[in-house]
Formats: sequence, structure tokens, C-alpha cells
Amino acid sequence: MTVVDAHVGAAVPATSVLPGERRSWRRHAWSLAFIVPAAVWLGVVVIYPVFATIRYSLFDESDTTFVGLSNYKSLFTTDSLLTAFRNNVIWVIIFPFFVTLFGLIFAVLTERIKWSTAFKTIIVMPVVFSTTASALVWSSIFDINPHVGAVNAAVQAVSDWFNPPGAYPISQSAGQSVASLASAGVRSGPGGSLVSTATVTPGHTVKLGLTGISPTTLQVLGAKRALVPTASAGTITGLVWRDFSPAHPLSRTKVYPDEVGLPDLHLTLTGTNGSSVASTTSNGNGRFTFTNVPKGTYHVSIDSSNFASGYTGLFWLGTQSLTPTSSLSQTAQALLSVPLVDFAMITAYLWIWSGFAMVLLGAGLAALDREVLEAAKIDGATEWQSFRRVTVPLLAPVITVIFVTMIINVLKVFDIILNMAPGSSQEGANTLALAIYNTGFTGGIHTGLASAIAVILFVLVVPAMAWNLKKLKGAKNS
Amino acid sequence: MRAKRSIPNTGLRTWSKVKVAAVVLAATTMASVTMGFAVLGGVSSAAAQSHKIGGSVSVWAEWTSTEQTSFKKALVPFEQQTGVTVNYSGKGSNMDTALDAAVAGGKPPNVAFVPDPGTLDTLAGQGKLQNLGPVLGNLTKNYGAAWNKLASYKGKLYGVWYKAANKNTIWYNPAEFQAAGITKTPTTWQGLLTDAATLKAAGITPFSLCTDIGWPVADFWQNIYLKTAGATLYDKLAAHTIPWTSPSVTTAFSTFGQLVGKPSYLVGGTQGSLANKYPDCVDKVFPKAGSTPQAAMVVEADFVVSEITGNSANYHPGTTGKGGAKCTTDPSKTPCYNFFAFPAPAADRMNSTAIQGAGDVGMVLTPTKQAEALIKYMASAKPGEIWAHLGGFTSPNNKVALSSYPDAVTRADANELVKATSFVFSLDDLQGTWEPMMWQDMLNFVKTPTASNITSIEHTMQSQATAAFKKK
Repeated sequence: MTVVDAHVGAAVPATSVLPGERRSWRRHAWSLAFIVPAAVWLGVVVIYPVFATIRYSLFDESDTTFVGLSNYKSLFTTDSLLTAFRNNVIWVIIFPFFVTLFGLIFAVLTERIKWSTAFKTIIVMPVVFSTTASALVWSSIFDINPHVGAVNAAVQAVSDWFNPPGAYPISQSAGQSVASLASAGVRSGPGGSLVSTATVTPGHTVKLGLTGISPTTLQVLGAKRALVPTASAGTITGLVWRDFSPAHPLSRTKVYPDEVGLPDLHLTLTGTNGSSVASTTSNGNGRFTFTNVPKGTYHVSIDSSNFASGYTGLFWLGTQSLTPTSSLSQTAQALLSVPLVDFAMITAYLWIWSGFAMVLLGAGLAALDREVLEAAKIDGATEWQSFRRVTVPLLAPVITVIFVTMIINVLKVFDIILNMAPGSSQEGANTLALAIYNTGFTGGIHTGLASAIAVILFVLVVPAMAWNLKKLKGAKNS
Repeated sequence: MRAKRSIPNTGLRTWSKVKVAAVVLAATTMASVTMGFAVLGGVSSAAAQSHKIGGSVSVWAEWTSTEQTSFKKALVPFEQQTGVTVNYSGKGSNMDTALDAAVAGGKPPNVAFVPDPGTLDTLAGQGKLQNLGPVLGNLTKNYGAAWNKLASYKGKLYGVWYKAANKNTIWYNPAEFQAAGITKTPTTWQGLLTDAATLKAAGITPFSLCTDIGWPVADFWQNIYLKTAGATLYDKLAAHTIPWTSPSVTTAFSTFGQLVGKPSYLVGGTQGSLANKYPDCVDKVFPKAGSTPQAAMVVEADFVVSEITGNSANYHPGTTGKGGAKCTTDPSKTPCYNFFAFPAPAADRMNSTAIQGAGDVGMVLTPTKQAEALIKYMASAKPGEIWAHLGGFTSPNNKVALSSYPDAVTRADANELVKATSFVFSLDDLQGTWEPMMWQDMLNFVKTPTASNITSIEHTMQSQATAAFKKK
């Protein structure tokens, strides 16, 4: 301010009232000498590029023809860039709120306990790790294979305890179906079971053939050669077997010598009204028997529990949409789907940044006036009430600064998407900053479009930045 | 402190004596070693032919580390016969860029091997290459017409092929095929789908699709396009002289859809495929010890062999395991690996010998005597046979004896290359700037392999290609 005033030749320098122009000019010369290098640097590296980018955004990709606002127009009509907008919106809505919330919770919790420094250090550590390294670790945590990914392993442990897999798991997420197993004498039944096509009466036999049973499963279960059942009065005997012969790979229904039975299958005898009459399990040769069956006609069904797949692992890093948009047009999908991978990446990013929020809020908490809290306690406020009614409002300035800083941070999110989202999800997980990289530096080298995206990003960030500065200035003046 | 104040005279004299002795010893050793080499050299040159040219030749190629060692070994007979010193510089994946810079700077190497024919065409068009027709003479017969055509520009021959890779391969686990009773590998696309159905009935997932990233899917689709549309249309599509909305492109997508539209044929279904990274997708068919295969086939180029053999030393090429034992699915016993040629639909039988692949072509940039001698040597069978013997190499030169290759699978692989009636390079690598977008479009097709999606993907690809080629 002093320098500016000297240049304009206006008001007297704020600090000095000394007469003698020569003396004050020398002082200003020194200030100038220190500021000019930084100003030049700032001008070259920040100010010039801002204006150059705006200029590039008005030209086409080879930077020769002036195209006016057509780059901006294509920004709002290209599906992949609309996807980027949508993802930025998702990030801005979810991330700043939760990072501030977690920061607040951690700050409050770690304030009162023993070893608070140790806990605070552990929570803050992810901030100093490289985002790329964190992204790679988290992509491994979210791996689809329950033997590799910690998240899927945990879900599997819980899910399989409630819904354990059957002896012959059929994974619907892998595109398999119970109905496709039916080969000879069976058809698809209610609730994912298989039912005999023909009815059976006591003293007769029934053969149920299935295909699509993996040799590995059979080896594990100890399957032996399929033996044709023999009839016996008053009982229903049957064979449930793998209707596939390597020697006759295209032939079905016939029981070949190299075909094996399906052991440990739970079968139910159902009456014509659908009620279950008896149940049994098949043996190593695939044979099963229902004894002392009263007269009547029955069906034999293979229970659906045999084919329970258990939890096979969810593709957390995929672009499956949480909103039902699969039947919409491409552009509508670009704007309205909410891909699952965004949540996985937001989780990783929260792990990285919550510590930062915690540190700032911890400092804010430490600066709080203890007397106000004690007064609240004396007035009979509970912990929760004093937290909600006293602590949070007093922390409001810090909370809002963190919130706005995180909005700016998240509008520029780039490296976590590049490193965490698999190749097949890159397009669905796109953000504006990543789009600048993709259009401007790889693939297209479309400087015009990339510059337009950069300008739009700048326009989105400026209000948040201005707000922050205003708050900072206000805090300084008050 | 006091002891070290001065070095006694006796110590100095002893020390200088040691120094003199060391120098004399070194000089004697070096002299004897040099004389030894000279003697050896003299003996070998006396024994060898007397086509001594002497001098040196500079060679650039992309081969580094182990490949560089193998290439240098392949050059030894040339160096001995002609007395020419080969100064080789391996540029790695920067080969094209390095050569561009050198040519522009006026200091190119004498001979360069580049991994794509596009560079050859560009340089020939600029007049920077020597016409090799008169230099090679009858040696041009060592290559099939398809190969010579690819090394020519405007009817004149400018290149000699040396190392080639075959992308026309589907690798399968013979133990899984035997468990499904498949005795003969399929020769038509329909046969492939039938065998896939048989594998499914046997409870074995037919394919492990590497869909985490775009290029394996693009390679797969390009194979289908080549087999259904033929090499002429393939080249036109690569050069963007026919649009991506052509019926031939739609046919290729629908054919591809016959496979990816059946999620139960892919390990992990559609979701699992999208999470299936390369090279983990290869490990699902040829696992390490401790796992069992999850699928029977993986569609990949022949460079997967190093991945397979790296998983376990037990993997034996062919349809029998080590020592002639039956192939097992257990990698700790006698597992096997083999391939069959990517099949064309029965109606497009004539495209069966059209191969998609990659290769390194040698060109002469500065016509010296040494460079011409080297290029003639490279067109002969010798350098190919030497590297073939060392493994990890196949040559399209039809004079390279198939017995030089270490096993039947590599022999069959090389034979396909030699017998190719057309040879095309990977279409995606020829697309330049929109290649990553093309990969993403292919992934989008696998995500939703419906007929309506084909139309929208084709339109997207057409606009992306047009924009990229407009800039070219």
C-alpha cells in the first residue's frame, strides 16, 4: 500500500511523517527491489497464463482459427464433459460436508482423551502421503476379489455367516443362472430351485441331469461315478448327476460310464399341491431315496439353497449407477447417473483429508473460551447440548473456512481418479480437472477445448475463493 | 600424531616401487590380452570368408536389456564375416521419436529398425530411405508378398522385416479343453462358440476377457473385423477412407456381441470382466501354483508366453505336459499351454490367413557399403535362426528353419506369420491421437453389448476419427 501510494504520488505514506522526499523514496526503492522479482514471477507464471488460457479457449484445436464461444458450446454438449460436470457436482455435495463433519468429530474426540497426540498424529498422517500412493492402496482395498479387497472380504465374512454359500454356488452377478443348469428331466422351479419335469409315484425312479457343474467343485465334494437308481416298492429312488461326458461332450440325457453323480444336494419331495412331504440328500454317486412314501403323485425338487452363491464380491470401482438411469438416453445418463466408483473414491479422499480438517478444528477448539463451556455446564447443559449449542456456533468461522477450502480442493480433484478408477471406469468417473488433462495433453491435444474447461473451472472456483478471502480479511480487520 | 609427522624415506621408495610394479603388471596383462585377442581374431578371420569390408555401421532399434543381448548375438556372424563393427543403440519405446529427431537433425543412424510401417512410409515419402530392391536382389524372395508389400512405399521396397509378433492367437489351457472333451480346437467362429457352449456345459467358464483397459478389447475386435471384412477393408478403415458407420463395422460389432453378450461365458460376468486387469486375466487361465484355472481361453497376442512361463516353470507348450504326461489343471504338476489361430466365420474362410500383428522392419538411411552388407545379412536366415534359438522371437522370413525354434508352439506361431497371405498392423496403433478414445468406446460396447448401443458407438467413433484425421 505504501508502494502504490508512492507510485500514484497520492497520500502520505502510512507509517512515516518524516520530511525529506529523498529519504522516503530510498525506503520505497528497497521495498520495490524486494517485491519486483516476486511480482515478475507472479506475472509470468500466474497472470499471463490466465489471460493466455482465456485467449486459447476462443481458438480451435490447432490454435489457428478464431472460433469464439464454440468450444464452450461443445463443452455443454459433449457427453463425456457433462459427465465430468455431474461428477464434480457429486463430489462438491458430498465431500466437503463429510470431511468437515469427520474433522469435527475427530477434533472433539481426540481432545479429551489420553494419548491425544498419538491419535491425532495417526489421523493426520494420510495428509502427508502421496495421493497417488493412497489411491493405489485404496484401489486394492476395494478390489472385486474377496481374497484381495479388504472391503469385499469384510462384507463376505458377514454375509456368508447369514447366507452361507451352497455346495453348488451359482453367481448371478457373474451372469450365471440356476435355470441354465437344467439338462435332463428338470426344469426351473420357484424361488431359484429346480423341479423334475415329470411326476413320480412310489416304486418308481427319477433321473435329474444337470450341466454347468465345474469339475473343481466335483473334485472337492468327492463325486463318484453316476449310478442309475433301482426301483423299490414304497420308496422313490433317484439319481441326480452331472449330465456331461468328456467322451461324448455333445450328448445329453444318457448316463455314460464317465459321468459322475452330484453329491450333497438337498432334495425335497413335493406333493401336487406344492407342499413338501420329505427331504433327503444325495450320496457320492448321486443316488437319493425317499422312504415310506404314501401313495400319490409327486415332484422332486432340488432346493435353491444348494445354489446360494454366497457373497462373490461387488465391483466397488465400477460405474454402476445408484440412480435407475439405464433406460435413458446417453446425455440423460451422463447428467443423472450416480456411479458407485465416485463413492469409493470419496471414501479414500475422506481418509486422506479428514486429518487436515481435524487439525484446523482442533486448533479452533483449543482457542475456545473455556469459561463459556463451563457456564453452559453450570446451567445444566448435557455434553451433546453444550456441543451443539455452544461449541459448534463458536467454531462456525473455522468450520466455514474448512468447508469452503474443501470445496475449492474438490473442484480440482484429479490424481485420485486417474490412479484409483480402473480403465473401464475412467470415463464414468471423469471430472473437470481430469478432462483438461485428457483433452489437452493426451489423445486429442485439443488446446482450445481444454482451455475452455480450465476457464469454466476457474469461474466455478472464484466465488469460493472470493468468499474465503472476504472472511479472512474480515477476520483480520475485526 | 608424532608418528605421522613425516613419511620416512624408506616408505616412499617402497611405495614408488610398488607403483612401478603395478603399472608394469597392468601393461603386461593388457598387452597379453590384446595380443591374445589379435591372435584369436587373426585365426577366426583366416578361417572365415574373405569378404572383408571393415569399417563400422550404426544401428538403432527398440531392443534393450535381454533383447539387446540376443540381437547382438545374432549379429556376431556378420561382424566376423565382414569385419564390420556394429555400433548398436537400443532406444526402447522412444525409438520412433529418437529417429524422427535424428533424421530432422541430419544425423540419422545408418540402419534403423522401427516397430511400425507408418514411419517407413513417412521416411520413404521424404526420400530419406534407400531403395532396397536392387540391393537385396533375390533375397526379397525370403519374404511373402504380404510382408514385402507392407515394407514398400509406392511400389518400391524400403524395408526388411526381422522380428514379428502374432496377434492372431487364442491361448487355451489344454487340460480344461480335455476335461470338456474337446479334442480339436475350433477352426471357424461358429466352432468357437460351440466349443464355448460345450465348456459351459462342462462347468468351465470359456473366456477370460481383459476388459479393465481398452487395448486388449480393441485387439480382439480388430481380429474379428479382419476375419469378417478382410485385409483390404481393414486397411481402408485404418486410414479412415471408409467411415466407422459402414456395414462391415456393424457386422464386426454384432459378431463380437455374440460372445460378450453372454456374460456367463466371461469369467466374473460383465462386471468381473471390467475389473479384469492385464496380466491378471492371463493368470486366470494359466495360474501360478496354488490356484486352479478359472477360465479356459484368453484372446491375446503371443507375448503372453513370457507371462505364462513366468507363472510357473512347469508350463509345457503343446497338448501334453512335461515328460509326455497328461495335461493337468494343477500348476504344480504338469500344466500345459497352447494356442489356436483366431478363427474366421465359415462364410469368410478366405480371411483365415489374414493375420494381425506387429513387427520390426529394418531400413537403410545412409547408403554405405557396410549398411548395405548388414541389410543383406538381415534378410538372410542366419540372424533370425540365432535369435529364434534363444527364445522370445519369431521371424516372418520363410528361409528361417522352423527347427530353430525351441518348441512346437513357437514353431506353429512362426509358421502362421510366414504363411500369412495378408499382414496388418494393429488398427488402434495407426489411429494416432484418438486411440485412447477408441479404447474407451470399445469398453463401452462390452459394458452394454446391445444392437442400439452399436449404432451410437459407431457414430461416436466416426466423429472422433474424423476430428483426429482432419488434423493429420
